[in-house]
Amino acid sequence: MAGNYVALAVTLVGWIGLFAYLVRVDKRVKELTNRES
Amino acid sequence: MSAVICFSFYFPPPMNVQVTFRDASRIFYYHVPIAWVTVVAYFTAIFYGIRYLKTRDWRDDQRAVTAAGLGTVFCVLATISGSIFAKVAWGSFWNWDPREVSIFVLLLIYGSYFSLRTAVRSDEAKGSLSAVYSILAVFAVPFFIFIMPRMDKSLHPAKMELSAGSTLPVFLVSLACFTVLFFWILRLSFRVSLLAGAREREF
Repeated sequence: MAGNYVALAVTLVGWIGLFAYLVRVDKRVKELTNRES
Repeated sequence: MSAVICFSFYFPPPMNVQVTFRDASRIFYYHVPIAWVTVVAYFTAIFYGIRYLKTRDWRDDQRAVTAAGLGTVFCVLATISGSIFAKVAWGSFWNWDPREVSIFVLLLIYGSYFSLRTAVRSDEAKGSLSAVYSILAVFAVPFFIFIMPRMDKSLHPAKMELSAGSTLPVFLVSLACFTVLFFWILRLSFRVSLLAGAREREF
């Protein structure tokens, strides 16, 4: 059962990390695209 | 997606299987959508490949390459997640099961796509050849994914007995989330490659 909580925590942290990274890249790409145009 | 992750651990395991790997069957919520996205990515690459042959717009070729690249990443993830389940359920990471062989062949198809691209210098020939290759592979991909694994006995569960009513909704939401995630990353990668291309032209 404890293993399930560890797996849940690892998966959640992984997903939140990926999501935050993608949002950051999206924002940066938007800035650069606006600057280019 | 966060809700899918929480529900995938909160609800009972999705499959009526042996007690020893019931919890491991929760990987079903991630492994199947990842494998689904692999196929979606390949069909996206084929779609843009055909569009490139019609329009000769380099951006369509760029979209096709980006989709194929992402498809490769998801294909590797599907292989890894499948191997983890195989180790828990059948005692070995790799069993040369028809389903494992089919995902391996799909990886080789993706690999050949990129080898072909690196072997050609001219951008136009590169786009045309890889588009034609992906159109030819349209016959191979459904065969290896849907037909070949069903032709022989397989350890891989084909038709699963779902253990709880909550399984299907969580699975369908997971499928939708992974598909949206794929198209988001695809759009983002394409925009990054456009910016990189513009920078290259500047220098």
